[in-house]
Amino acid sequence: MTEQNTTLKVENVSKRFGDFTAVENLSFSVKSGRVFGFLGPNGAGKTTTIRMIVGITFPDSGNIELFGDRISTELQNRIGYLPEERGLYKKMKIQDQLRYFAALKDVPQAEADRRIDFWLDRMQLSEWKKKKTTDLSKGMQQKIQFISTVLHDPDLLILDEPFSGLDPVNVEFMINVVAELKARHKTIIFSTHLMETAERLCDDIILINKSRKVVGGSLREVKASFGKNLISLRCEGGLNVLHDANLVARIVEHSDEKEIELAAGADSQSLLKRLIESGATITKFEQIEASLNDIFIEKVKETNA
Amino acid sequence: MRKFLAVVKHEYKKIVLKWAFLIGTLLFPVIAAGFAVVPAIIFSIKGEPTRIAIVDPTGKIEPRLRESLASEKLLEKSRQATKDAVTDINASGEEKMQRGVQQLGESFAFAEYSGAEKSPEQIRRELNEKIIGKELDAYLLIPKEFDAPVAKYEFFSRKAGDFVTERILKDAVNEAVRSQRLADARIDESKIKTLSRNVDFEAKGVDEKGNEKDSDSSFIAAFIIGLMIYITLAIYGQMIMSAVVEEKETRIAEILFSSAKPFELMMGKLVGVGLAGLTQLSIWIISAVILAGFGATMFTAAGMDIAIPNITPLMILLFFIYFLLGFFIYASIFALIGAMVTSVQEGGQFSFPPIMLLLIGFYFSFAVIRDPNSSLSFWVSIAPFFAPITMPVRILAETPPIWQIGLSILINSLAIAALVWLAARVYRVGMLMYGKRATIPEVWKWIRQA
Repeated sequence: MTEQNTTLKVENVSKRFGDFTAVENLSFSVKSGRVFGFLGPNGAGKTTTIRMIVGITFPDSGNIELFGDRISTELQNRIGYLPEERGLYKKMKIQDQLRYFAALKDVPQAEADRRIDFWLDRMQLSEWKKKKTTDLSKGMQQKIQFISTVLHDPDLLILDEPFSGLDPVNVEFMINVVAELKARHKTIIFSTHLMETAERLCDDIILINKSRKVVGGSLREVKASFGKNLISLRCEGGLNVLHDANLVARIVEHSDEKEIELAAGADSQSLLKRLIESGATITKFEQIEASLNDIFIEKVKETNA
Repeated sequence: MRKFLAVVKHEYKKIVLKWAFLIGTLLFPVIAAGFAVVPAIIFSIKGEPTRIAIVDPTGKIEPRLRESLASEKLLEKSRQATKDAVTDINASGEEKMQRGVQQLGESFAFAEYSGAEKSPEQIRRELNEKIIGKELDAYLLIPKEFDAPVAKYEFFSRKAGDFVTERILKDAVNEAVRSQRLADARIDESKIKTLSRNVDFEAKGVDEKGNEKDSDSSFIAAFIIGLMIYITLAIYGQMIMSAVVEEKETRIAEILFSSAKPFELMMGKLVGVGLAGLTQLSIWIISAVILAGFGATMFTAAGMDIAIPNITPLMILLFFIYFLLGFFIYASIFALIGAMVTSVQEGGQFSFPPIMLLLIGFYFSFAVIRDPNSSLSFWVSIAPFFAPITMPVRILAETPPIWQIGLSILINSLAIAALVWLAARVYRVGMLMYGKRATIPEVWKWIRQA
């Protein structure tokens, strides 16, 4: 495939550490210009996979192709990597650190200075330019780390838990920044535990658990394939209908409404009809699709079993 | 290469553009200047003269005492003592203190007091009153039978703790009594002096080419060089370790590794910190050369004959080469330790072995100073780990043949290649291992597998 439509291709990649298998026979590809959700519980092998993509470690077997090529120092300059475990030099001025990170990505100093000013301004941190890391709050440090990932204007961004440690206002702010980058046709690999955020941002996802792929594809496809019929219901009465095992498989009680999972073979229309017949007062009856969170929990449970 | 240079620049600036570096760099010459200049200044300070009364019923001792306590005589003695102190670094602590005493400027003013026809008790009472009345600082009672075995010389002083005066006086009394004994035995004192005069014993080393050189001053210079290299290696080695640990602890390593090769990053760090060390050492050596020149002028002006060790530009070049050899040997060991551990404190425990090696090297340098041509000196100035300290010392004490220097540089360069290779392998795995300290078997596995 050519670079125009595929940024990253991972083929049958495995990685072992002694007896422990971190990644086994993993394959997926990331289309350019899209936001790709790389999801999975702790210890699933996400960080190991990402480290192989950015060229910190190498697979024992299998192939990784980036922009249609094997990883190299030149290609590393086109990646912006924000690791999950990250930090800054404690006693160094923000500007000096950013300059150093840019220099390591081969950005000429004048260009780097221009971009540092632009991004500090964008992140509303301009007055902190000459301050040391220890003077900054944790949230500010997170934003500085984000700047260090985009300073060299990379084509592929790999963000591992980019919003951890941020307050809701700043999460919203950063989501907008990511959206801007997407609008500039950057490819973004986005690894997170926050399914709601992933659902908002991602076009495609892959879910891995226990070093293997569980499910993958476009968000739409994944949700469709997770063929569960869920209904959000708010009503009074009709309890006998809801307890009919032929119609309802499961009820999850929320504060003022119920989430109904239909039994296999039953359809929503017959449930609605039966409820009306039973004389229940219905104030809400809405067919809903499974949230990414539900899919995540369900699939992880399944593969752990 | 561009990234490597970026790392070098980053590490260099991180150290050199800090107050600690500036203070450390400036402090050393200031302290050294203190050692060179302060004694010279102290000579010139003379305390208040001690007002002393001498009661001599015999009338024989007092004139001799007065003569030997005259200021010109004392000054001459103090100069001789200073010269001895500077030229002999092997003197024991006690000897050094005595010399220090003699160096202090001291003078006496003699108070007239006649004790004739007075009882010893009366003399004592009258003189004590004078001391209480601050007319007098001290008095010395000379017994009637000045040479009897039981004769007791008594010295009373207002300043009971003034051991300087006490010591000078004691020496002077002994001298006076001795010369009186000679006079009584009708022995010509001047003849004795001539006959028992010390020979002028000048120690000079002879190098391989048969050139003479002054050995005293070489000893001091060799010792200083050994100490300077030892200290800088220990400081910069630990600096490397804490820089490595910081990047591991803060997880910056992961970002760095996604931008440049681990080997480039590690070498960049070693070279950058090494250049910072070289900067500091250059400042020190230049100031040492200037101070040595200045100190020598001061001593010469004070009437002392101090030779400046003969240090050639080639020697200075060799010191820098050996500093760099030592730096890369110890820095790669410290980098390896930094990549293994999880915190600076933990690294501190592990830095014991390299610090021990450095110390052993430093102690060997004493053996080298004493006998630069022994087979021990040969081996320790060739051996890796020790040569960076012992070889510069040996070069100064007595330059060995070129082939030995060449062999030593070759062997130590090979040691560096092996250590850097080892450190690089531990570095690229260890820097990404969070949470726990690596065990030695684990590290061994990294080395074999990487």
